Amino acid sequence: MSGSKSTDLLAVGALVLCSAWVIAWAGGLVVDSGWWPLRLGLLGAGLALAGPAAALLLHRLKRNRRAAEQHFEALCRLDPRDLSGDGTSDDVRPLPADNPWCGIAGRVRQTLLEHCRRQQELEHKRAALEVRCHRATTQSGQITSIFSELAEPILAVDDYGEVVLANRMAAELFDFDPENAGSRALAQITECQKLVNLLSAASHRKTSGERVDEIEIGDGEGNSRWYRVTATRLAAAEEETDPAEPSPGGAVAVLHDIGNQKELQKRNAEFVSAVSHEMKTPLAGIKAYVELLVDGDAEDEETQEEFLDVINGQADRLQRLVDNMLNLARMEAGVVGVNKQNRPLNEILEEAVHVVQPAAEAKQIKLAAELSPMYLGVLADRDMLLQSAINLLSNAIKYTPDGGCVTLRSRLADNQVRFEVQDTGVGLSEEDCQRVFEKFYRVKKDKNMASGTGLGLPLAKHIVEDVHGGRLSAKSVPGKGSTFIITLPSAGQLT
Amino acid sequence: MAKRILLCDDEIHILRAAEFKLKRAGYDVQIAGDGQEAWEAIEVLKPDMLITDCQMPRLDGLGLVQRVRQNPDTADLPVLMLTAKGFELSHDDLARKWNVIAVISKPFSPRELLRSVDEILSEEDCTAKAAGGLDA
Repeated sequence: MSGSKSTDLLAVGALVLCSAWVIAWAGGLVVDSGWWPLRLGLLGAGLALAGPAAALLLHRLKRNRRAAEQHFEALCRLDPRDLSGDGTSDDVRPLPADNPWCGIAGRVRQTLLEHCRRQQELEHKRAALEVRCHRATTQSGQITSIFSELAEPILAVDDYGEVVLANRMAAELFDFDPENAGSRALAQITECQKLVNLLSAASHRKTSGERVDEIEIGDGEGNSRWYRVTATRLAAAEEETDPAEPSPGGAVAVLHDIGNQKELQKRNAEFVSAVSHEMKTPLAGIKAYVELLVDGDAEDEETQEEFLDVINGQADRLQRLVDNMLNLARMEAGVVGVNKQNRPLNEILEEAVHVVQPAAEAKQIKLAAELSPMYLGVLADRDMLLQSAINLLSNAIKYTPDGGCVTLRSRLADNQVRFEVQDTGVGLSEEDCQRVFEKFYRVKKDKNMASGTGLGLPLAKHIVEDVHGGRLSAKSVPGKGSTFIITLPSAGQLT
Repeated sequence: MAKRILLCDDEIHILRAAEFKLKRAGYDVQIAGDGQEAWEAIEVLKPDMLITDCQMPRLDGLGLVQRVRQNPDTADLPVLMLTAKGFELSHDDLARKWNVIAVISKPFSPRELLRSVDEILSEEDCTAKAAGGLDA
């Protein structure tokens, strides 16, 4: 038994005895009046015992009550944030076991602490959710930005064919406001029925997977471009619970611009067609004349020689064509080694004049070289630059009638080296001035003036511009003549 | 009287080879260097047959055939197309749309060309005789 409890029992015992004696004395149970000094003495002793006992009890009651009050007040002030890790609080300690309030105080304390713990947990969860919400909002904003700024048009429709999502590129392509696109049918936004049908078909697919098609989409102003459209079904929310019963959830389409690819395909097809035609033409000549000879149609020697010359000429033409094509292809592919060194331009030009001189003399064309007396240094591959000069001079001679003039000039201009080939030939229209550098392009009206593969000028342009960083251009007056101008960086400028 | 054939091609050597072969076979052969020149020649020379290339300057082969068919005076002129375009042209389309009787691809055989010309012109003769007989 604890000391406080023993004290309480003694105090209670003294009070009970004293009270019993007082009651007995008052009730006259002790009848012998001669014992009254003893009775008074006993009364006094009882009171002496009962007084302190009662005071002690009262003190203890007050103390317990005060402790209980303090305890409950502390409980009222309890803040869930002040709980320790094990869910207790140093500010609210349990009442001592001898406090008569300790039982109920303990239960109240436990209940409150439990509530505070739960509140603390909820607060933690709320804070965590707030962080997640903030992150999700940030992420959503980033995704929206990324989606909006994607280079490829993307749009999504629901199972009714109405636009539910579109990025900026899709809005520009189809000319609508993505903010107000909701509830508008795709068929209202675009006239491209093929696209509408593709999305509809994707939306109603029973299985996942994508549908791809190449679609030409116009912008409403007469321009159109080819896109490879990949349409994928969007799964409806119900499918997550019942995948066996897929329901239409819409579709999303990603449009990949293949306009350049289509253009390249078209140009490749045109190139193959042009090459085929250019090769078949000399072959047709060779075959026809060979057959005439075989059939004995050329009865006299003169005719036979004529036919053999034609066959030889056409074979040479075919060879030039193949050589030029191979050269151009190899140069464009970067297979041909380039040996650039600082070289005197005028030396290369003089050599080019020497190469084409016989052809000029055959047509009695005056071929003049008016080269700058200054040293014109260029960083160039000698053979390539010589080839381009020969091609320009040869072209000028071919399309200048007999007795005309072809002049080659060189000079320094604006820190660049410039040389030009001017002729008094048939001239070119403005359109032909641009197109004459296209592969196999030959001015139609002048085709019969001279043989050609249509590759000489494209080859020269590639050499000057792609290999040497210069520029080749043409200006002309139809019927009067043309001037082809090449400019190259001066080697003095480069060192 | 020798049948007159108009040959149209912008390649001089092709023209020369075909002309040589057909002339040796006894045909009266006239040549033109492009479609426009051929059309002007058709109006003057009234040939019995046209042999034309497809790709030519000024007026190409298809344009020439279109004009020939749209003119009542020349609508029935037999046309044979000589072309390097090969599979790019639909022979069925040419036959159905423009009544091109035959298409020969380049490189061509002058022998085969002569055979085709002989067949076409002899059929035309038969058709003309039958029509003349009916009229009579």
